[in-house]
Amino acid sequence: MSPTNDVSTDLREQLETIRVRSKSRAIAVALHDLHTGFRFSLSGDRRFHAASTIKVAVLLAIFRAADEGRFQADDSLHVRNRFFSAADGSVFHVDPERDATPELYESVGRTAKISVLAHAMISGSSNLATNLLLDFIGVKYARKVLSEAGLDGVELRRGVEDHLAHERGVNNEATADGLLKLMSAIRGDFLTEESKRSVIRILLEQRFNSMIPAGLPKHATVAHKTGEISTACHDIGIVYLPEREPYIAAILTEFDPDKDGRRETVAAISETIYHFLLGREIQLK
Amino acid sequence: MKTEFLRPIDGFHLSQEHRALLRPGEKETDFSGNVHRLPRFFYEITSWQQAKEIRLAPHFTLAELTLVDCREARPLLSQFPHYVPCAIVLLATFLENLRREVDAPVFISANGGYRSPSHHIGGAQSIHAWSTAANIYRIGDTFLSDAKAIEKYRAIAASLSPAVFVRPFGREQGQTDDHLHVDLGYVSLTPRECSEAS
Repeated sequence: MSPTNDVSTDLREQLETIRVRSKSRAIAVALHDLHTGFRFSLSGDRRFHAASTIKVAVLLAIFRAADEGRFQADDSLHVRNRFFSAADGSVFHVDPERDATPELYESVGRTAKISVLAHAMISGSSNLATNLLLDFIGVKYARKVLSEAGLDGVELRRGVEDHLAHERGVNNEATADGLLKLMSAIRGDFLTEESKRSVIRILLEQRFNSMIPAGLPKHATVAHKTGEISTACHDIGIVYLPEREPYIAAILTEFDPDKDGRRETVAAISETIYHFLLGREIQLK
Repeated sequence: MKTEFLRPIDGFHLSQEHRALLRPGEKETDFSGNVHRLPRFFYEITSWQQAKEIRLAPHFTLAELTLVDCREARPLLSQFPHYVPCAIVLLATFLENLRREVDAPVFISANGGYRSPSHHIGGAQSIHAWSTAANIYRIGDTFLSDAKAIEKYRAIAASLSPAVFVRPFGREQGQTDDHLHVDLGYVSLTPRECSEAS
């Protein structure tokens, strides 16, 4: 076994301990440390319900479309809470009570800038903004973008809060490896420099910071997106630390419904990764 | 009413680019299979500021009836002058009557007034390309997003003129469930100083 595999085993064992202690159904972790080149994948090809992490895929597609000249980020869209189910085309609405950006619902009937919607979709995880943007570019186009980016582990099939589609098993799914590739695509050269900067800035302004950032020291900054539904609790992000290159992490977990301690489990995984990578960096020196 | 800046234009005299997008006087088949001629005469709007200043009726500005999102054809979205079919003044008059009847502000949604034949929603098949239709999303404090509100104001709007069509509440084709659609039919208006000889 190579030294790299040996250290992977250490991390794998630590994560397994967390999994057992948390009583989660499953955890998956994908990791790429851009400082040392270290890569790691635990159950990286296991499929999970993507929950709101799928919004990063929509974000990528939106900025790709802008790069292709389909529209400009300061263009406006009609704000309308009316969408069509991926199951049968029937009309559905998203619930303002479940949305962390209630102010967006005050714009119903009027317009909002695409850049504002993109920000609301990520920083406030707005379901209304997500469906408006996805409805605008279309699922087919977004899937084409994901394919062009080589993201085989991210399956975008529909908007959010499409309950009928959910009942019929039409869900957005992702693997940890796929979401790691998604974050890598954002950081790479898939988008123009201007779009890349915009996307990372939006991800840095994330309002929900109780998972990956909670496991890190205060001086860390994280461009990330969480995702939670009754059985899934995820966080994917780029972790920036002073005086070193960032690392990219995708942490996916699955629990029985209403199980406590889900976010704390992701935070504990984040903390474990942090100490592991920095410890390894010291060893390499 | 501040309409003195409205300058009528014969669409046949517009630039080739604008004629391609607005298709003045061309035949178009609607969703029911009926054929209509698209509007030929337009008012020229030189700036968005002007659109906000021009009152077509005491409580309706030109801007309110022409607000569209980026699904509109790019040249019609980002370049001035804009061109709006002259029948928009008839729509404004109807909306003013409705406002008087309900005694409350009437709010027109984005994409809910005039949309060009090149707009990606409905295109030339939509009656919105005649500027004789409006989607009302709110009256006073009431959002028109349920059967009770839509049917209440539908009855009021329909009572104002036999020429008015108001879509019923529902989620099928030809129905609405999050706004009130009113229209005056495929009306075209020729300003008295314009000729249809050619």
